Amino acid sequence: MATFMDKLLFVFLVIFAIASFFFARELFPSGALVKISLDNKTVYTLPLNEDRSVAVRGTLGENLIEIKNGKARMKDAPCPNKLCIHQGWIERGAIVCLPNKVVVTVGGKEKHLEEYDAVTK
Amino acid sequence: MKNSTNKISPGINEQKNSENFHIALLAAYAIGIHSVEKFIPTPIPWLRFGFANIITLTTLLLYGLKAGMTVTLIRIFVVSLFTGTFLGPAFVLSLGGGVSSTLVMWMTMVLFGRLLSPIGLSLFGALAHNIAQLFLAYLFFVRRLEAIIFISPIIILLGIITGTFNGIVTSLIVRRVSAKG
Repeated sequence: MATFMDKLLFVFLVIFAIASFFFARELFPSGALVKISLDNKTVYTLPLNEDRSVAVRGTLGENLIEIKNGKARMKDAPCPNKLCIHQGWIERGAIVCLPNKVVVTVGGKEKHLEEYDAVTK
Repeated sequence: MKNSTNKISPGINEQKNSENFHIALLAAYAIGIHSVEKFIPTPIPWLRFGFANIITLTTLLLYGLKAGMTVTLIRIFVVSLFTGTFLGPAFVLSLGGGVSSTLVMWMTMVLFGRLLSPIGLSLFGALAHNIAQLFLAYLFFVRRLEAIIFISPIIILLGIITGTFNGIVTSLIVRRVSAKG
């Protein structure tokens, strides 16, 4: 009843659907988080889909981080060259304010942020 | 239904009239199937089997595009008028999906009719139906691209399953009908 092309089409569509399922997951990681750390210590872990701004006080002064429309940016920083501010809005990756030791990382699910539940020695 | 076909058909000699009669009958079947399907509970609220597509595809294969489109349009308008969804969101989705899947199945039939059985045509129809509905849902109702992209693979996968089933049923019907006539 089914021709060879039917079967080929069926297999192709199933593979396509499954592949695009994983592709979509990669494209939009559910529950993406914004992690803000100061001097290697995480001070904030915030959901990317919730608009808000936070201030982090480092040795030089205050960094202002803004989260809006699923993107994050460094709104204000006390550092001299303002590289982090010029980077603008990011959906993935990181913004680093090296002088003040503030790092903002965006993306990944919770499990990536805390890779280990516990370590025994 | 079966009896009346046998009673009336021989009385009408003109082929065109008998064809119109068959198309009307097919539209009635499609309406019946579509309406009954609404009462079948599904595990996911928006999952639909699209059994009415069996009738659309059968009509396309036996009588061509004009008849197939007529059956689809009659079904969608009549069902939406009876269920009170006329011009509502469900109607827009139903119309968009129905018209595009009918068109795509016809184009596939013309282009690849020799290579594909009704199962392949039904798969193309299901795919067109899903894509059209996802597009319309994004355009008019959801407006969140990530939600649409996220749900697309699942909808398409379910469409492949129901499309294959509908295609198998269609090919059984068409084989039986052409063996008789």
